[in-house]
Amino acid sequence: MVTLKIAFRNTLRQKRRTILTALTMLVGFILASVSIGWAGGTYSHVIDMFTRNRIGHIQIHAKGYMGKPSLHKSISQDRPVFEKIKNQKGIESWTSRVYSVGLASLKEKTGGIQITGIDVDKEVKTTNFDKKITQGRNLSKDSYKEALIGKGLSKILLADVGDDVIVISQGADGSIANDIYTVVGITDSGNEEADRTGFYIDLSDAQNLLVLGKRIHEIVIVCTDLDKVKKITNTLKSELAEYDLEVSPWQETAKSFYNAMQADLQGMWLMIFVIVLIIAVQVLNSVLMSVLERTREYGVLKAVGTRPFQVFKLVIFEVSIIAVASVLIGSLLSTFINHLLSVYGINLSEPFSYGGIEFNKLSSQVSARSVYLPAIIVILSSAGISVIPAIRAARTVAAKAMRSI
Amino acid sequence: MEENSNNDIIVTENVKKVYSENGVPVHAVKGIDLTISSGEFTAIVGPSGSGKTTFLNIISGLDDVTEGKVWLNGKLISSMKSRELSDFRRDNIGFIFQAYNLIPVLTAEENIEYIMLLQGVPKEERHERVVKMLEEVGLKGMENRIPTKLSGGQQQRVAIARAMVSRPTIILADEPTANLDSKTGAELLDMMRHLNERTGMTFVFSTHDNMVMERARRLITLKDGQVESDEMRN
Ligand SMILES: Nc1ncnc2c1ncn2[C@@H]1O[C@H](COP(=O)(O)OP(=O)(O)OP(=O)(O)O)[C@@H](O)[C@H]1O
Ligand SMILES: [Mg+2]
Repeated sequence: MVTLKIAFRNTLRQKRRTILTALTMLVGFILASVSIGWAGGTYSHVIDMFTRNRIGHIQIHAKGYMGKPSLHKSISQDRPVFEKIKNQKGIESWTSRVYSVGLASLKEKTGGIQITGIDVDKEVKTTNFDKKITQGRNLSKDSYKEALIGKGLSKILLADVGDDVIVISQGADGSIANDIYTVVGITDSGNEEADRTGFYIDLSDAQNLLVLGKRIHEIVIVCTDLDKVKKITNTLKSELAEYDLEVSPWQETAKSFYNAMQADLQGMWLMIFVIVLIIAVQVLNSVLMSVLERTREYGVLKAVGTRPFQVFKLVIFEVSIIAVASVLIGSLLSTFINHLLSVYGINLSEPFSYGGIEFNKLSSQVSARSVYLPAIIVILSSAGISVIPAIRAARTVAAKAMRSI
Repeated sequence: MEENSNNDIIVTENVKKVYSENGVPVHAVKGIDLTISSGEFTAIVGPSGSGKTTFLNIISGLDDVTEGKVWLNGKLISSMKSRELSDFRRDNIGFIFQAYNLIPVLTAEENIEYIMLLQGVPKEERHERVVKMLEEVGLKGMENRIPTKLSGGQQQRVAIARAMVSRPTIILADEPTANLDSKTGAELLDMMRHLNERTGMTFVFSTHDNMVMERARRLITLKDGQVESDEMRN
């Protein structure tokens, strides 16, 4: 195609301008790519830290539990649900929990508690539970009437490791449930509110106390890959459709956290918008200059019978050729930069915290998105803005253009 | 103009052109009636500002008329739409410009080929015609040079080849020799006249140059946008 040939040679003819235009696009590409990679890296890092702390990636409850938790909305441990989870690919670990509320007292101090029955081994694997114990030790494997209490609660009860705490709650059968537990450790989850009421006992102890038999309230699942959570949620949903269960991804169980993350991502889009603007202005400037300088050439092309649309294409082609070249070089460079940032990351001098979790290192992420999105951005914004000079060139009035030497 | 005979390539009827220069009307062409027939080798002469370029632009459809009608090859071009006119020019008019105006990034060969590409002439035929034309204008061996690597005379030869190779009905040239020394200009004029005689293609050019006037078969003199004289020679 002769128009393409002329376009290509024109880009080589105006080397200086071509290089300047290409540099603008290249810088735009790399900025976009790094900010997308960066946002992606930070985003998944923060989400992973947050979800792995307690809520996991996916939770399963009896129907209605999420809306209105109740002792009775429970899942029997005899159900094949657990088999299905074990067989599901992409799941890193999972654990079961039992929940209820009650009162704990030590001497004359009393406090409201959130009783959580945990499967110690699995809880450690799923949420690094042992890392939260700041004093004493974890519940033992064959734990019997041992308890871990939150830092805040220990202050309220003036309880220390070794103290015996009396707990009063209600059993599933309506009876009054009470028992004595020995505090073996104190936890600090970073979430002060949770630590003021946190009371952790072994799963079977909790089932005994609450007269739940072999029933639990919650299954918490952690997937190997954050990006697969939605897919695994859907698979589980359809696999477990016959049971009266709710399968919820972290986006549902931690809605406000999810919304905060989405708001954070808007920062990235703003950045991209600014990049598009910069590219557009620069490309417009350089292409408009080149079109004005070459008015005479367009005049000749039109005089000898080149259609206006062919002249239009000529301008668009020239810009697109430069854009594609910039995208190719940009892909290599930015992948390299993103790779470096993902390996080394950046240590924050001042860590920030969210939901009680502290983040002190941010890193980037190499993904398909960090290449194809900037490519689309660069090519569309430069070809798009070139429509203006291209129309101008296409409308060149040959008679006028050739008089103006 | 129903009496339009097949032999008439260009017919103008009371053609007028008024430019506006800062709101002041400039009457560049003030009513020209002319008929140019097939095979003519015609020069349009006249003092600077007499309207030669304006008239050539009008009969080639590069510029529109303020008043009057223009037929080219029996078609009323003064009322054609832009794209139609563009295709019409491509197929019917060959241009030669004072400043050569070759496409700077294309080689001599590619410049000559360009209009045939627009016309969709098949590759084989394009090549055949280009080779023949290069020989005709005496540029054998220079086909792969880009315009900046050619002398003015050589560039104008490429321009002549480009204008003729697409087999238009008429070649229009606005001061084709003005940028060349008189010897080169004379050579080119002789070549064009030879091509005119051999192929029967119609040539119309504007000029200041006595040497060009001497070689013209018909001399139309403009003055103040009007035809002052129109004489046939030898
Ligand atoms: N675009 C324009 N706007 C205003 N006036 C114009 C324009 N083009 C030409 N003119 C005027 O029209 C008149 C005729 O100009 P034209 O270029 O046709 O003359 P010419 O015979 O070709 O002159 P030259 O021998 O110098 O090339 C002149 O007075 C010129 O100033
Ligand atoms: Mg002139």
